[in-house]
Amino acid sequence: MATCPGCALLCDDIDVIVENNRIKETRNACRRGAARMKGCFNRLAPSIAQKPVDIESAIRKAAEILKVAKSPMLFGFSNSTCEAQVKGIQLAKKLGAIIDDTSSFCQGLLIETIFQEKFRTCMLEDVRNKADVLVYWGSDAQDSEPRHLSRFSYFPRGESRQRGYEEDRIAVAIDVRESNTAKICKGHFYRIQPKGDREFILALTDALSGKVPAYEPKKILELAAILKKAEFGVIFAGIGLTYSIKEDMEILVALADKLSNFHIMPMVGHYNMRGFNENLFKETGFVNRVKFEGKAVQHSPAEVLDTPSRGVTLVHDDKYSIVEALRNESIDALLVAGSDPLSSLPRSLVRHLASIPVICIDPCVTMTSKITAVTIPCAVSGVESGGTAVRMDGKKIELSKIIESDYPTDEELLTRLMEAL
Amino acid sequence: MGLDVGKFMKNPEYEIKIITYRDIFQVEALERDRFGKDYEKLSAFIGMSKNDMAKMGLKSGDRVKVANNNGSIVVEVRESRRDEPGGVAFMVNSPWSNVLVSDDMGGKGIPEFKNITAKISLVKEEITSLESLMEYFRKLKQV
Amino acid sequence: MVTVMELYQLLPKTNCKICGESTCMAFAVALLGRKRNISDCTPLLEGNFKKQKEKLEVLLLPSAGAEETGMIVHPELCTGCGNCVVACPVDVANDPRGAAIGCAPTNDKVIFKVVDGKVMASNIKECRRFGKNRVLCYACIDPCPTGAIEFV
Ligand code: SF4
Ligand code: SF4
Ligand code: SF4
Repeated sequence: MATCPGCALLCDDIDVIVENNRIKETRNACRRGAARMKGCFNRLAPSIAQKPVDIESAIRKAAEILKVAKSPMLFGFSNSTCEAQVKGIQLAKKLGAIIDDTSSFCQGLLIETIFQEKFRTCMLEDVRNKADVLVYWGSDAQDSEPRHLSRFSYFPRGESRQRGYEEDRIAVAIDVRESNTAKICKGHFYRIQPKGDREFILALTDALSGKVPAYEPKKILELAAILKKAEFGVIFAGIGLTYSIKEDMEILVALADKLSNFHIMPMVGHYNMRGFNENLFKETGFVNRVKFEGKAVQHSPAEVLDTPSRGVTLVHDDKYSIVEALRNESIDALLVAGSDPLSSLPRSLVRHLASIPVICIDPCVTMTSKITAVTIPCAVSGVESGGTAVRMDGKKIELSKIIESDYPTDEELLTRLMEAL
Repeated sequence: MGLDVGKFMKNPEYEIKIITYRDIFQVEALERDRFGKDYEKLSAFIGMSKNDMAKMGLKSGDRVKVANNNGSIVVEVRESRRDEPGGVAFMVNSPWSNVLVSDDMGGKGIPEFKNITAKISLVKEEITSLESLMEYFRKLKQV
Repeated sequence: MVTVMELYQLLPKTNCKICGESTCMAFAVALLGRKRNISDCTPLLEGNFKKQKEKLEVLLLPSAGAEETGMIVHPELCTGCGNCVVACPVDVANDPRGAAIGCAPTNDKVIFKVVDGKVMASNIKECRRFGKNRVLCYACIDPCPTGAIEFV
C-alpha cells in the first residue's frame, strides 16, 4: 500500500507495481494521482545561470545569493513534506527572510479561520460515517480532488449511512459553472453569478433566520430547508468561495453559526498545503505571509506578536504575500521550492521575477526553472522519498518511498543549504 | 485581382467575462510534461455557450484574440459541452489565462483569477504557444 | 470482434522485443488472447504513442464480456474517480469492507477497478443488467462525471 501525493486527499490505499525501479502500474489512484506517481517527462538538472553544474556547486551558489540579499524570500512548499517545510521555516528564520506558500493566493484565509476555531470542522472519516448533507461550494472536487466523493463523502456506505447515496445522502453544488461535481449533484445544483457568493451567503443566512431572502427566494428557501434537516452536514469550501469572499470570512462564520449541525472543510489541491499552514502556525501563529526580521517575525496584515519564550517577535502583513512582494518589487532574491510562480501567478505580476536572482528547487523542469539563476533538482516526495503530510482535514498521513532515487530530498537540500550559509 | 476587403476590416470586438476553472485532464498533462503539446491543447482555448458564439459569429475551432490591459493571447474557441446560459466564457486555469489576470488586488494579495474581463475578436494568427509566453520573460530579462 | 491486424497496426511495429515477444505481431496475438497487457509494451507508454495506446485500450476493454451486457468503457474519458467502483451494487455486495465503504477493492469479485488512473471492468457477467433476474441498473452510469461508461 502506498500513499498518493497527487492532491491533499492523500489516498493511502494505492497499490503500485514496480519494475526496474520504475512505477509500471498504479491501482486505485485516480488519473491525477497516477500521473503524479508516474512522474514527469522532464527532470530538472542542477544549473547556475542555466549552465549545467553539480548539485554541490548549485547549493553553494544558492547560499551565496541568499547571503548577500537584503530582502530574501522563500516561497512554495505546498508540494513538500512537513519535514522539508519545517526546514524551510528554519532557513527563513536564519536568513531573516520572508516566507510564504501557495495558500497565500489559495485557501490560506479559510484555513486560518479554521485554525482560529471560528468554524466547526471534522475529519473525513466522520463525513463517511455520518454525513447526510454535503455542500460543494465553489469546489469542483471531481477535477481537483477526484476521489473525494467516492472515498468519503457521497458514494460510500458509512456507519450511520448504510443505505448508500441514493437514500441516505444529499449532495449539493453551488458554483458559477456546471462542473463535473455539479453534474453529479444534479437536482441540487445552484448556479450563482460570478462573485455572487456573498449575495448567496447573505440570502441563505436570511432564509435560515426565517426572513424572506432578498435574492432568488424560491431556490434559497428550498436549499435552506435541506440544510436545516441535516443531521450531520458539511460545507466543502473550494477556492471559488474563498476567492469570492476573501477577507470577508465573517459572513461565512455567521452562516455557519446558523447551521448548528454543519462543519466546514477546506478543499485543498496541493498535497501538503495544509501541512505548511500548520507548521508555520505552530511556529508563528500565522498560516502564511510572515517575515522574520533579525530576532523579529512579521506577518501580514501588520500585527506584532511578542513570543519572548522563543526570543522572537512576529509581525504579520499582507505585503509579505508572494503577490504583493512581487508587485511592490520589495524582494531582491527568491527561493522557490516545489512551485511554478511563472505559470501560476498573473503575468502582470511576475515581471519582477525577471530582475532578481531566483533559486528553484523542484523535481521537474518548470517555466520558472527555465529562467532562474540556480536550479537544484530534488526527489519527488511521496514517490522517491517518504515523510509526512497533512490531509485537507488535518489528519497526518505517512508518505511512501516507492522507488529509489539518487536525487536528494528537498529536506536534505534545505539542510545542506543552511549549512552552506 | 479582387480586393481583399477582409484585410482592411477589423473583426468586431466583444466584451466578455471569463471564469477560470480546473480540469483533471489538463492537470494530468501538466504532471507529465508542462511543455508538451497535450498541455497546450488542453489549456489554450476558451469555452463559450452556443448562443454567445452565434451572437459573436464564432464557430468551434476558430482562433480568437482575447485581450485586456494586462495582456493578450490567441486561443481556440470551443463550444462548451454543457448547456450554459451564456454571458460568461470559461478558461482552464493556466499560464494562458494568467496573462489576462490583473495585478491590482487592493493590496490584499489575492489576484482575481476567476474574474476576468476582456475583449474577444476573431483572428487568423497562430495560437499563443507556451514558448512564446516564455519568450516574453526572456525578453524582460534582457532589458 | 477485434482482429490481430487491428491491434498490430496500433503497435510501434519496431520488433524491439522489449515486451519479451519476438515480434510486434506475436505481441498482438498475445494481447488478443489476453495473455499480455498493453503496459508490457513499454515503448507504447513513452514517446508519441499516446493516441495509439488509448485506441488499443478501447479496443481491448469491451471484449471482456461486452457482447453479453453491452457495456462499453471509454478509458480516454475516465478520470479514475472511482465513483462507479463504489456505487455499483455488485461491488457493494461482493466487497463490503472495501469498495462498499469507499476504500480500494479488497478482492477480485468486483466489477470495477481503477488501473493507471482509468477504470477497468471485469466479472461483467455479474452485472445486474445480465442474467435471469436482470434489472435496468444505472448505478455506474449516473455517478460518472464524464460519461465514460455506456451500455449499447
Ligand atoms: S484523489 Fe488525490 S490523493 Fe487520491 S488518488 Fe487522486 S490525486 Fe491521489
Ligand atoms: S449496470 Fe449496475 S450492476 Fe451493472 S456494472 Fe453498472 S452499476 Fe454495476
Ligand atoms: S465513474 Fe466514470 S470517470 Fe469515475 S472511475 Fe468510473 S468510469 Fe471513470
